Amino acid sequence: MEPIRSYASQEIEQQTSPIEPQKKPKSKKRKVWVPGLLLLTPILLFIFGFFVIPMLYILYLSFISTDNLGGAEAVYSIKNYTQLFSDSYYLSSLWLTVKISLYSVLVALFLGYPVALTMAKSSARIRGYITLLIVSPLLVSIVVRNFGWYLLLLPNGTINQTLMALGIIDAPLKLLFSEIGVVIGLSNAYLPFMILSIVASLYNIDPSLDKAGAILGASPFRRFFSITLPLSIPGIVSGCILVFSLSMSAYVTPALMGGANVPVMPVVIYDQINNLLHWTFGSALSYILLATTVISVTVFTRAFEKGKFKEVFR
Amino acid sequence: MEVLKKDVEINRQHLEAVQGVGSNKNDVEIKGAFKQFGANVVLNGIDLEVKQGELLTLLGPSGCGKSTTLNLIAGFLDPDRGEVHIKGNNVTKVPPYKRDLGMVFQTYSLFPHMTVYENLSFGLKLRKVGKAEQKKKISKALELVKMSGLENRYPRELSGGQRQRVAISRALVVEPELLLLDEPLSNLDAKLRHELRAEIKRLQKEIGVTTIFVTHDQEEALSMSDRVVVMNAGKIEQISTPTEIYNHPKTEFVFQFIGKSNCFEGNVSAVDKRKVAVKIGSDITHVDTNNVMGNEGDLKTGDEVKLYIRPEKLQIVSLDEKSSSPLDFHRAKISQMNYLGTSWEINVLLQGKSIQVLTSAFDSSWQNGSEVLIGWSPSEVMLVKK
Repeated sequence: MEPIRSYASQEIEQQTSPIEPQKKPKSKKRKVWVPGLLLLTPILLFIFGFFVIPMLYILYLSFISTDNLGGAEAVYSIKNYTQLFSDSYYLSSLWLTVKISLYSVLVALFLGYPVALTMAKSSARIRGYITLLIVSPLLVSIVVRNFGWYLLLLPNGTINQTLMALGIIDAPLKLLFSEIGVVIGLSNAYLPFMILSIVASLYNIDPSLDKAGAILGASPFRRFFSITLPLSIPGIVSGCILVFSLSMSAYVTPALMGGANVPVMPVVIYDQINNLLHWTFGSALSYILLATTVISVTVFTRAFEKGKFKEVFR
Repeated sequence: MEVLKKDVEINRQHLEAVQGVGSNKNDVEIKGAFKQFGANVVLNGIDLEVKQGELLTLLGPSGCGKSTTLNLIAGFLDPDRGEVHIKGNNVTKVPPYKRDLGMVFQTYSLFPHMTVYENLSFGLKLRKVGKAEQKKKISKALELVKMSGLENRYPRELSGGQRQRVAISRALVVEPELLLLDEPLSNLDAKLRHELRAEIKRLQKEIGVTTIFVTHDQEEALSMSDRVVVMNAGKIEQISTPTEIYNHPKTEFVFQFIGKSNCFEGNVSAVDKRKVAVKIGSDITHVDTNNVMGNEGDLKTGDEVKLYIRPEKLQIVSLDEKSSSPLDFHRAKISQMNYLGTSWEINVLLQGKSIQVLTSAFDSSWQNGSEVLIGWSPSEVMLVKK
């Protein structure tokens, strides 16, 4: 009797399918794959020992009070955290960090999207070449690259000299040791992450959707804004998150290209810990920077996942 | 539904008044289309006319050029040479988005970030249809494909069959000049395929939109179309009604591609006005001169020829059964019998060659190794010169 019954139930399912949406199979409880757990053990130990414990130690430090000279007192308090809000220098540094990171994201997005679009439409061979070109800057140390920019952006560097020789400007622009310099450096350094995220997303779009748009009467321009762009939002979001978080925590580029004129949080924290030996305050600043990044990224992602185009994230 | 039918009827009357449906006006004309990708010639001079209101199928094996032909009509490809005309206008160089067509794709191609309603309103917005009018048209179009009430679903929340229904109504809601269907049923399971096949046919007749359907499934082509275009290797082999294609294939390719076929080889032993006599081994059989594919005038005694006949056109009888019908009967031996429910598939050896017979007349005394007579009518055999 068993086979007959199962056949009958299949029949019923098929009949209802045109009306009802396909039901998702009931989610089975996933069993833990024991060998997998074993394979993960080394990396878990590594992360625990060299990341989790130090981070917890920094958190612990951030709650230790200090006297005015920075000497530790045997008292726990949130003084280190409240100190940030009492001094406008640190607040404006935090705001500067966010601002510069946002600019870097925007520059990387606008420079990167056309490249990603070109890559997604190219043949596999061309795409390989472009990928190589995009990734090639990562082969050079970030310090070396920054000194390259340094030479270009100096007051009597290549860019200023060229612009002056062409008569476009009279006096050299302040490109180095300014916010512009830092944004140029950061967006340049993290552009590959933006491009590759967007390409992955563009490449997943079914090409017949563009055809469907065209046959319904949409011009290429219209198709881009109604179909391609919305469907690439997941790539844009992940690219923006990557570039934003990397920019928020970048130290080398702001230190070299901005110096003391652009005191972003990582530079300030380095200063507190290494030069002023305010370990506890530096630790608190680190956690404030981390919290700012995590909150911004979460709000940003949520806004997209719940917004008009929530369906593209499924 | 009542209102809708009335509406469709009015539409048709209007169409008839304006354009005269049923006239032999051509909605699509392809003239001498030639297309090459690299060294690969995919269309080798295609001439095709699609009549107003008909459902025309492009049928052929993969790589025969049927999809390329559809893409020429849609405007996704330009012919290297030749022209495409739609409703009398030369559109060869017109981009797809200015052609005012409707198209349904194999992969459904619904916009995943839009609801069913938004998918349907996409084309209407581009045509500057007002909000209220949009709503009316969309609910009508969804009703046509029995998808009312699912306006706010996202494509992800629909089954394959439902997605394809929505895709069809998205193509129809803009009231296109032509409806293009690019293997729309190939991604569906057999039951849904049958269901949608009937539905597309019904819809097409109801709305009267000229439709071009691409498929590699001969059953689909034969059951749905007004006319079938059989294509092979970038050329059109035959354009005819489904029954003509099946019963009177013009070329060897069409015979072999559509339905099942048996093939004998033999030599011409005599030719007269009405019949050709062909010697197969030690037997003589006859073929109507009408059934000679190509030029029968070229046939001479001694020519090597191939004979094609469909399994269901063969008659199989016991040795002692004397038949008075004007058939050529030949001795054969049963090698295998397969029961198919509605009929028997019997494999016999005739002159050392394995032949398949499909029959519902079955003698229970037959078994493997039984001697039987196989007969056919000269009008059912097709002859082609080797």
